[in-house]
Amino acid sequence: MFDIDLSPLRLSLQVAALATAICLVLGVALAWLLARRQFWGRGIVSALVTLPLVLPPTVLGYYLLQALGRRSLVGEFLEDSFGLRLAFAWEGAVIASTIVALPLMVRSAQAAFEAVDPSLENTARTLGRTNLAVFFTVTLPLAWPGVVAGTALAFARAVGEFGATIMFAGNIPGQTRTMPVAIYDAWQSGDAALANTLVAILTVTSLLSLLVIGRLLRVSRW
Amino acid sequence: MLEVNIRKRLASFELAPTFSAGDEIAVLFGPSGAGKSLTLQAIAGILRPDKGLVRVNGLTAFDSSAGINVPPQERRIGYVPQGYALFPHLTVAHNIGYGLSGLDRRQRAQRVREMIGLLGLDGLEERRPRELSGGQQQRVALARALVFQPRLLLLDEPFAALDEAIRSTLRQELLDIRRRTAVTIVLVTHDLVEAFALGDRIAVLDSGRILQEGQREEVYYRPASRRVAELVQSRNIFAGRVAENRPDGLHIDWQGRRVKGPACSWAAAGQAVDFCVRASQVMVVRPGRPASPGERFNVFSGRVVREDLGAEGYLVYVRLTGSEQPYDLQIELPIHIYYRLNLDTDKDVDVSLNPKVIHVMPTCA
Repeated sequence: MFDIDLSPLRLSLQVAALATAICLVLGVALAWLLARRQFWGRGIVSALVTLPLVLPPTVLGYYLLQALGRRSLVGEFLEDSFGLRLAFAWEGAVIASTIVALPLMVRSAQAAFEAVDPSLENTARTLGRTNLAVFFTVTLPLAWPGVVAGTALAFARAVGEFGATIMFAGNIPGQTRTMPVAIYDAWQSGDAALANTLVAILTVTSLLSLLVIGRLLRVSRW
Repeated sequence: MLEVNIRKRLASFELAPTFSAGDEIAVLFGPSGAGKSLTLQAIAGILRPDKGLVRVNGLTAFDSSAGINVPPQERRIGYVPQGYALFPHLTVAHNIGYGLSGLDRRQRAQRVREMIGLLGLDGLEERRPRELSGGQQQRVALARALVFQPRLLLLDEPFAALDEAIRSTLRQELLDIRRRTAVTIVLVTHDLVEAFALGDRIAVLDSGRILQEGQREEVYYRPASRRVAELVQSRNIFAGRVAENRPDGLHIDWQGRRVKGPACSWAAAGQAVDFCVRASQVMVVRPGRPASPGERFNVFSGRVVREDLGAEGYLVYVRLTGSEQPYDLQIELPIHIYYRLNLDTDKDVDVSLNPKVIHVMPTCA
């Protein structure tokens, strides 16, 4: 039992944490734009952001391979210019998780931003604060519970990500074999004991992570 | 000094208010949906007009012809929206100090303390807005808007959310604060009593346009048109035709009667006119007494058809003899007068309209 390779757990947490962080920044920005700004193509952006909720993750993984794989234009450029390889690398797993988790973050945060009374923001602006200051002192604090909920959902989704990851990042031990992939791999190779252990570890870890996230981003009450 | 002359196309009408205000309380009065709040937002810089001019105490805040649109942050205009828009996640002290980000911590605390003293909010510094009464919330909103010494204070229906009992107290407080801070105020209301209690000047806004602007007595007793007369609740508004314009007064034909009005410079014989009399200015002739000098004109006979008891007195509805209308005149009587006149439904009554209290208006096409 103690000679289990725990690298999938470390990798899963690392990938999910990074993907959640990207989701938080990108998702809050997108959610704010969709909630507060009218711009050309707004409907398309909204639909594109939500699309990963609808499509099977394998389809997303396939798209990622086509768009960022080694033989794609972007993939070739990244590898030639920066030596950066996304497909079949742990960074690719981060991208896959981010795209799959982003809709949950955006949906949740957008609803929270829309619920903030614009007259609070307008009044804050008449009081001499810059738009950025108003965002960080009024809009974001008031939308915080929704942003926290979105972050927790995004993290949960990222930890559980399987389909897009195995398509785009593969199943390379120590590099892209995250927990869900390792569990699938163990079960496929007939190692039920290992599968059981990994399932238990993932369940407990996910539960603890959600508790810690809730604590870290504590929702203040007023 | 405030000067507003803007245009903004909206879904249902064009907002095109034109008015000015001096060092006083100017009231923007009008029915719901007239564009009062939007006008305030345009002054505050939250709503961008299509074109026009907003000038506030030397600052050209908006001027479409010169391409000027000063952002709300730089206008230094205090704005208290309807419902106050207090920040629910901040304490009273932090709400009030919100606009003082440029000052250091010590100066900020000092200014906040001054405001808390001025508005009698001592002891509430650490409370959240939801822990305050409506009146306290309103005072916090005023403090927050006044703390950075604005060049103008905009109040949108500041008393609408409050109980009747506390309103008159807070109105007095507002007048008091205005005296002490000497800030120019533009106040929006749909409440005539409030407009009259607070406004040195009243601008009447209807469907996006200013119908009349002037001293409050003028707007109240000398409305510019039938619509204004309706909005200031002049209960007796009639349509007639000028029979003769004599130097001593206008003679108006009205439903087969001849009404003698005040002297009038503009009306010509044959012209259609509207005229109005406030319900409190119609006199009831006491039976069996010689008519007093004020009762010698325009005496008409009728019958009381209905009486409503209000807070301050009776509203008596009179149908004139020979009339087909449900009623022709509404008369507001203090209770002691009502009892002295011994009125009752179905009793005959003589009423008198003094030419001095008749106000004649041109009929709008």
